[in-house]
Amino acid sequence: MEGLADFLDSLIGGVDFVMFCALIGGLIWVHTILRPWQTTHHYSKALLDNTTQLIYYGTIGLAITQAFALLLKVWLMAATLQQWPFPAFAGTLQFQAGLARLLLVIVLAYFIKLRLTDNPQSHELWKTAAWGAVPIIIAGAWLTHGAGRFDYRLLLMTSTVIHQVAAACWVGGIFQLLVVWHTHRQGQAAFTLWPAVLRQFSKVGLTAVAVLALTGLPMAINFIDSINGLIGSGYGNLLMVKLMLLGLALAMAYLNRKGTLEFFQQQRSTLAFREVPNFIQAETFVLVSLVFTAVSLATQPPAIDIPDTTASWQEVIATFKPRVPMVISPTHEELMAGEAGRTAIIGQVPSRAMTDWSDYNHNMAGIFVAAAALLSLAGYFRTNSLSPRWPLVLAALGLFLFIRSDPETWPMGPIGFWESTLNSGEILQHRIATLLAFFMGVMEYRARSQQQANPKLIYLFPFLAAFGGLMLLTHSHVGFQPKTAFLIQAGHTLMGFFAIILACARWLELKLSDPAQQRIAGIIAGIAMLQIGMILMFYQEPLY
Amino acid sequence: MSNLARLSWLLLLLNVIPGAIWAHAVVTDNTLKIDPVQAGQAKKITLTFNSQVELALSHFDLVKKGDLRERLDIAPGPKQGQVIVNLPPLLTGEHAIQLKVFAADGHLTEDLIRFFVVD
Repeated sequence: MEGLADFLDSLIGGVDFVMFCALIGGLIWVHTILRPWQTTHHYSKALLDNTTQLIYYGTIGLAITQAFALLLKVWLMAATLQQWPFPAFAGTLQFQAGLARLLLVIVLAYFIKLRLTDNPQSHELWKTAAWGAVPIIIAGAWLTHGAGRFDYRLLLMTSTVIHQVAAACWVGGIFQLLVVWHTHRQGQAAFTLWPAVLRQFSKVGLTAVAVLALTGLPMAINFIDSINGLIGSGYGNLLMVKLMLLGLALAMAYLNRKGTLEFFQQQRSTLAFREVPNFIQAETFVLVSLVFTAVSLATQPPAIDIPDTTASWQEVIATFKPRVPMVISPTHEELMAGEAGRTAIIGQVPSRAMTDWSDYNHNMAGIFVAAAALLSLAGYFRTNSLSPRWPLVLAALGLFLFIRSDPETWPMGPIGFWESTLNSGEILQHRIATLLAFFMGVMEYRARSQQQANPKLIYLFPFLAAFGGLMLLTHSHVGFQPKTAFLIQAGHTLMGFFAIILACARWLELKLSDPAQQRIAGIIAGIAMLQIGMILMFYQEPLY
Repeated sequence: MSNLARLSWLLLLLNVIPGAIWAHAVVTDNTLKIDPVQAGQAKKITLTFNSQVELALSHFDLVKKGDLRERLDIAPGPKQGQVIVNLPPLLTGEHAIQLKVFAADGHLTEDLIRFFVVD
């Protein structure tokens, strides 16, 4: 079960931070924007209830993920070290800080449920909740890279905490904007409330972004000391993906601001009420991905610590160099013949067959994805009978990967299905990716067919694409061969980034009102999918 | 107490709580680089990590020919982040130390240090 524990451990950090954002960002929202205690504001009971509930659910969610994270840690240690980790684990500050944080969150959740839900207009109670959240924020300081440094420790820890709060302010604020929009759509909020909170949040959001940049820069400088460190290490690579996602989120934020300004300066509500809510939903996809990427970044050793195993920028570029895709695979017998030597520690012999096998899988997968993307794009330019069937190519890809992805396991190899799936994080992820590709293809095909029964089925694809993107962004480990692992990771994180673009663009294609904008969003989704296909088609695994 | 005073108090708290939780642990240096292992002689080697590791929750295994494993005795080193590993007398040839360390930030890290035993 080590694989399952490892996989869950890589995801739980992201979920934990999303909950943290709902709690901390929600409290900042109440104190800086909503300010329900001011008598000049006449908020509906529904709005205050929804706001408080989201914060409460964030707190409960944080308690659950914190408890789950501790249990997972015990499980992972027992599985990896083959020993029961107590009492040694109980003596670590990791356990003690985690437990203390859990108790603090439970107390805060109890307070919100008991007092705030009945009195959401009380300034005193909101102040108490905010002060109750402070130790929870501080506890996070001891779980950061900064805490581990021997130099500038306090500065880095403080920077990280402020960085986290700024991120929570932005992400939690976006969650609360969705709450206001939801309340507005239910007819339980004044017409002017939506543009008013958009304008206010614009200022708060800009401040949060400025703080993110100011606190992120010293950390980046301290942890990355060279161009190769930025381009050729897992830490630098994820930081670059984080910056690209930040750029994407800022582009969405710009569109939101444009709509808000249009409302106030030209008294036009077209953008603010019709399109901005959709942009905010897409921004939510990006921000949640950003959170998961940030958490994944925190699991990487800083580039400054691994100069000997950092790849050069030339090596990284070489992995993306276009070439003729490999369309002929080694036989299974050839592959298995080299496995004993490849997996040996002493006297290891790199396996050309394994590298070719992997290249073939990736390159063929790229041909599948690129074909699906081109078919999808063709539909925007010319009506044809094949285009609507592009999701079936993804389903076929799922079947192809299921058979080929892990040749040492069932159905091709000697290791059983469950034995391999539950004991290796990598194989488990392959299985999930396989299922995801198949499921995405089938569901999207059904959703696009005329006979489909449930009209909401069409919204499944963006969520599944985003989940796939998160998987690609979050699972990165420095194993026995850090440089090789990184070179494999670099392509996968870039695909994760394009998967998030695909999810957002497809979401906007479905939600935007203007057909011309829908078309642009659809074409962007197709191009993002094509990019994923191209990365896979030219993928080259290092020989190991 | 003013808000500023409360904030100052909290920042102070950040500094005085002992810093026992550290970041993702990787080996940044080891004495094998400058002091090779001689065949037939027991040896203490020092591994330097970029952060603190919980020794009670960490395993250091010697890997010999045929990938045979043997658990190694370890002790904290003289400086922060250092671990002393006691190697038994070894035969000439390729060996490795396989680490499974629990970094104090809660991450389990695996690593492999290959080395040659010389005559």
